[in-house]
Amino acid sequence: MDTEALWLTLRLAGTTTVVLLAVALPLAWWIASGSGVARALVQAVVALPLVLPPTVIGFYLLVGLGPLTPVGRAVTRMLGHSLAFSFAGLLLGSILYSLPFAVQPLVAGFQSIGREYVEAASMLGASPLRSFFDVVLPMSRPALVTAAVLSFTHTVGEFGVVLMLGGNIPGRTRTLSVAIFDQVQDAQYADASRTALVLVAFSVVALLAIYTRRGWRGVESGS
Amino acid sequence: MSQAPETSFHHEVELSHRTGPLSLDVRFELTKPWTVLFAPSGAGKSTILRMIAGLAAPNTGRVALRYGEQKVVLTDTSRRIMIPPHLRAVRLVAQRPALFPNRSVILNLQYGMPTPERNRQSLDKHFALLDSVVELCRISPLLYKMPSQLSGGESQRVAIARAIAAGFGRLLMLDEPFTGMDGVLRDELIAGLKEWQAKQGAPILMVTHDIGEVFATGAEVMRMENGRIVAVGPAEIVLAAERERLLGLLGRTADPLQG
Repeated sequence: MDTEALWLTLRLAGTTTVVLLAVALPLAWWIASGSGVARALVQAVVALPLVLPPTVIGFYLLVGLGPLTPVGRAVTRMLGHSLAFSFAGLLLGSILYSLPFAVQPLVAGFQSIGREYVEAASMLGASPLRSFFDVVLPMSRPALVTAAVLSFTHTVGEFGVVLMLGGNIPGRTRTLSVAIFDQVQDAQYADASRTALVLVAFSVVALLAIYTRRGWRGVESGS
Repeated sequence: MSQAPETSFHHEVELSHRTGPLSLDVRFELTKPWTVLFAPSGAGKSTILRMIAGLAAPNTGRVALRYGEQKVVLTDTSRRIMIPPHLRAVRLVAQRPALFPNRSVILNLQYGMPTPERNRQSLDKHFALLDSVVELCRISPLLYKMPSQLSGGESQRVAIARAIAAGFGRLLMLDEPFTGMDGVLRDELIAGLKEWQAKQGAPILMVTHDIGEVFATGAEVMRMENGRIVAVGPAEIVLAAERERLLGLLGRTADPLQG
């Protein structure tokens, strides 16, 4: 069992989830609170990782963040090292890769809340920001849980982006899903099956977390 | 309860709007303590309230409120003025109560009230206000329930109480507020609201399609037809015509039976 890879995977998935929620909350709220060409475009871009092969995302990030582009050079100068083949690079890749899994449940959750609640709050003097935190967020708790769990597990399971962007550096960029690939290539099937089991257990627990919560005192369904 | 002095007000509303089948062209002033906008369902009454509240924008129009010494223009399409709803200091109790489902009734009531300071005097004042609103709307047994546990009529009363607790602001608007309430309760609530209105000074604008409610309030009536206000005055006069019209309709439908 590669505990270094396990720890790295958890760290990556945890950090990704936190950053992703911070990014996805305002983004999802903006998408949910209107319609128009701009919103459709943003939504399409957000959904892109669902249909693109992960290797394609990894490839573009690798090239885009490398020394060939001005952005890549600027980032490299700022950080003192290239984003490619580093934890920060993996983090960025994971955030982009899992973005739809955070944004889409939140958009659906926000859209299911009737406008009348936000309007009622505004009629009591609450600013849009205040009603977002007081009314919208508490009412979207199930969507929030779903977004967090999906972001976390999807990041745990990513492979293509990690391999393209991070390579396979033990302790830096070698996650569980990459480790299992290595173990199989070295014909260490016992190790591989232990790693695989850990990943399966993760997924089952995560899905259970989502589906047991569904039955909770849902805001819409009452007590 | 705040001891607001009797304040004079003069609100002017001018709205013109067209969407689909709905065509609105209204112009009115609010100078009486309680005004009722009377029209059949689907005539755009709620839309007018939403436009005054800033929740909807008219094609063209102007909403200007004078309250005491203050005169504020909330909407003026010709000058591109559109104050956001939460800064207008007007209250709207919508037809659907929209109580916050994650808050108990008492927390709903407190939502629009200023947070009391942590001293005896301020807290006493806060809870005295809360008590009198709860008393007025007869909701003391409901205080610690969640909105999902309330009936439709109870939710409606809590929604009214929540708006009153926040203070009338410059204008309190009620959209079909007494639907699903029995007559006794309704009359009590109307009497209570009148007392509050006298103390707060800001006017009430109510919308309804129920003639009984209009007479119960004894308020000034604006009758709306086809998106226009066609008559303004006391209920006895304005709705006498309405009643005759209804009777006329009844007479016509009765004819074939007789003949």
